[in-house]
Amino acid sequence: MSTPRRWWKTLIGLALTGVMLFPVYWMINVSFTRDRDMRRSPPSWFPVDGTLDGYRAVLDQQLPYLGISLVVGLGTVVLTLVIAAPAAYSLAKLRPRGGGALSFALLIAQMVPGIIMAMGFYAMYLNLGVLNTLPGLIVADTTLAVPFAVLILTTFMSGIPQELLQAARVDGAGAVRTFRSIVLPVSRNAIITVSLFAFLWAWSDFIFASTLDSGGDHQPITLGIYHYIGNNNQQWNAIMATAVVASIPAAVLLVIAQRYVTAGVTAGAVKD
Amino acid sequence: MSASRSAGLGLALLAAGCLAGCSGTSSPEGTETASGQAAGGGTYTIWDPYPQYDKASDWVKLLDTCGTQAGVTVERTGYDTSDLTNKALLAAQQGNAPDVLIVDNPVVSTLAEAGVLTTTAENKLDTTAISPNLIAAGQSGGNTYGVPIGANTLALYYNKAVLDEAGVDIASVKDWASLTAALEKAKAAGKKGITFSAIGTEEGSFQFLPWFWGSGARLTQLDSPQGVSAVALWSDWLKKGLAPNSVINNTQTTSWQEFAGGDYAFAENGTWQLGNAKDAGFEYGIIPVPAKDGGTAAAPTGGEFVSIPVQQDTARYATSQKLVACLTSTDNSFATVTALSYIAPTEAVQTRQSTENPELAVWVEAVKAAKGRTGDDLGTKYPKISEPMWGAVQAALSGAKSPQQAMTDAQTAAASATQ
Amino acid sequence: MTRTAPAPTRRPAVAAGGPVRQGPGHRKAAWAAWGFLAPIVVYLLAFYAYPMYRNLELSLRHYTVRSFVQGDAPFTGFANYLDVLTDATFGPALWHTVVFTVVSLAFQFTLGLALALFFVRNFPLSATLRALFLVPWLLPLIVSSSTWAWMLNSDSGVVNAVLGVLGAGPVHWLTSPDWSLWSVIAANIWIGVPFNLVVLYSGLQAISPSVYEAAALDGATGWQRFRHVTFPLLRPVSAITLLLGLVYTLKVFDLIWIMTKGGPSGSSTTLSTWSYRLGFGNLVPSFGPGAAVGNILIATALAFGLLYIRLQRRQDLS
Repeated sequence: MSTPRRWWKTLIGLALTGVMLFPVYWMINVSFTRDRDMRRSPPSWFPVDGTLDGYRAVLDQQLPYLGISLVVGLGTVVLTLVIAAPAAYSLAKLRPRGGGALSFALLIAQMVPGIIMAMGFYAMYLNLGVLNTLPGLIVADTTLAVPFAVLILTTFMSGIPQELLQAARVDGAGAVRTFRSIVLPVSRNAIITVSLFAFLWAWSDFIFASTLDSGGDHQPITLGIYHYIGNNNQQWNAIMATAVVASIPAAVLLVIAQRYVTAGVTAGAVKD
Repeated sequence: MSASRSAGLGLALLAAGCLAGCSGTSSPEGTETASGQAAGGGTYTIWDPYPQYDKASDWVKLLDTCGTQAGVTVERTGYDTSDLTNKALLAAQQGNAPDVLIVDNPVVSTLAEAGVLTTTAENKLDTTAISPNLIAAGQSGGNTYGVPIGANTLALYYNKAVLDEAGVDIASVKDWASLTAALEKAKAAGKKGITFSAIGTEEGSFQFLPWFWGSGARLTQLDSPQGVSAVALWSDWLKKGLAPNSVINNTQTTSWQEFAGGDYAFAENGTWQLGNAKDAGFEYGIIPVPAKDGGTAAAPTGGEFVSIPVQQDTARYATSQKLVACLTSTDNSFATVTALSYIAPTEAVQTRQSTENPELAVWVEAVKAAKGRTGDDLGTKYPKISEPMWGAVQAALSGAKSPQQAMTDAQTAAASATQ
Repeated sequence: MTRTAPAPTRRPAVAAGGPVRQGPGHRKAAWAAWGFLAPIVVYLLAFYAYPMYRNLELSLRHYTVRSFVQGDAPFTGFANYLDVLTDATFGPALWHTVVFTVVSLAFQFTLGLALALFFVRNFPLSATLRALFLVPWLLPLIVSSSTWAWMLNSDSGVVNAVLGVLGAGPVHWLTSPDWSLWSVIAANIWIGVPFNLVVLYSGLQAISPSVYEAAALDGATGWQRFRHVTFPLLRPVSAITLLLGLVYTLKVFDLIWIMTKGGPSGSSTTLSTWSYRLGFGNLVPSFGPGAAVGNILIATALAFGLLYIRLQRRQDLS
């Protein structure tokens, strides 16, 4: 493909991303806006006479929470993969009797409303004494991602050519070794996709954090928003500023992770 | 017993708590309850709906001080107010209710009905000094279930510059007709009329009630001609462009932001906006919400109640009572309401507030004239009436139904829900 | 892996549709298969069984706030379901749910697929831009939904400001019964596109380039390639994406709740916002009917799940 054509696509890509991220821009715009200008009609497109009050509040109070969110996000990714990847391999390739019912249960499990899940966890955690702890929050957050992860990974692993696994078996590899040294590397794209969503869900989770960790010493940044929600009043520039500050490090992580989604992993492996 | 010695002891306790907490070793729930059994020591939990106040705030410092005076450590958690009711019910179900619970006043009767709260007869809280119109929201079936920590209510803020430009003398605004005339003048002068919040939640009912009550209507009969006239007042304002269409979805914060833009003549909002009003950058004034035919309409009381939830270990009530008494005693009440920007629930402290801060005088008067939503012996019936009511207001304002039709339907729904 | 597989595995594994294993190895294979599944089974039982049971139990008893706390609510069978089904809110809420789900899914999937096809050929910055598409997912829903409500505000919203410049009158996006449902659908499509993009994109990446090379040799045009090669190969991933999308869309309540509270006058109330309003959106919660509506939604998802499995089985056989 010729170079000009490729740059032309970049331009379209930039335009599409621009449209997609317009609400995010608007959020940034609001985060700089003074209270008195927030509902100006017509609205101003740029924060002229902007204020840094929102950011000042956030940077004073919120930065430590970012680290907690990162720990919760990464912890959720790891736990999700540890539970979901072996299950997906089994459902996709070993196909035990009853596997279909299990996939079905996973699908239905996701339909339980988040608030009911949160209430269930609250009762359980209270009795176990793990309310307001990070491991507790991580386990709760994985429930957002595990069913999704199993179903997606199963779909992708089903696409792994049978010959590849047969070859391993001929070499004398058991199920565990096949899983570790063939299935996992070949499923890299799907694993990255699943990890991304597990991370995103944990990072932006509000309902579990507020139910299970609002009394904790280590709170994720989404709870930081509570600092600006009074019983009669909300400080919108600070709320938006919290969201902006919270999304910057995570956005960087996303960009890095996306670089590892590459074409033809399966194909390449077959050729080896 | 000297005050300084007990304060010192409390500080030592606090420091010890910090050593345990700050060194990173989390203490499991179990130890807490175990040490809580020992009389006169241990940890007492307080839940409040003020998540905006963090550890450095005056409010939390006051809680710590009260804990110190009672010889215990206070563990406080701030929840979002809409979450707190469910959280309290769930905790009570699991036998883990906090020692002290601060909740929005219309919720008190619901929690009392659920058997979550102790009566003042059980917990020995003193409520004699509290203004009767404020304590009413915490009473049902002859029992009192808590003490108001402070109160707020609604009134009309006005923008002096806009009214001057429109040629409106604020003294002429005495009833609905003169208010509507003032709004029309503001609109004619190229400004905007009034903004309020008619959102589809309790907030919408809260804002509608001064007009509803001001028309002479009663909550037991939503579709009375008076009640319909209150809805018609609002929907006519929208139709004539005297109020923006966005009010249908406005929270009280959004509505305030519109007013703070400087174009609106009036805004219906609460005591808590006083601080923001000073920052708005224009001259403002406050008048009570006028009743239909003149005089002041009763506005609903806002603000929270301090209550003591039922515990298995009834010995804890004594200390909880000390904590609550500390927060609501005449000496501390001034600090409490100042920390929370409320109007005090007792005459004595109200007078002190008016003298020390003359700006509050108008709000003190408004609170005295205010009325509890769950009063009139409605109790737990109120929420079942309030929901159809805000629904009717939304239906009428959005044009889905006529005011009469909306209120008739609402009355049918309310009647079947409360029977 | 753990050897503590549950009892059913002792039975010989002759899974229908799966590769049929015969001989002495099949027993060991079944052990291994359930060994890999053991963590998820434990996990499901530990963390989902209780909330699901709880939701069912809530819907079958007559709960008041008092009996919720005391735990002595009388069993009333399907009375809550009957109440809900005969409620005047049910019909409109069901219809809004259908419209919301179908329109959201159609647009999310189409836009997501189009974008995935666009991004699949690498160009400068493509990886970065693709990652930026996910940024909306980093924001807590309370923030992104509020931003949409902000932009669609009748009086000070940027959308009406643009319409004003173009000479069109303001539209009451969130406050008119005619528009509110479409406004929340638009916001939901925006939320859903990144999910479809990313999953479908990884699906496209899993298609071996050699397939395209073969098609190119056969002289297939771009559209033919998509119609006869890409789309059929992408079918399993598309199916699961749509199914998951369906489940997530049926479940959406916070977005609608924050933007319109289901109003005005119920015009954007779906079954899930109604369930939330009944159970948690009022001063006095009615847990029973709320849970009943929630379970009706679960049953709906169940029906679609069965349909999916049937379709998948048919495909396996063909």
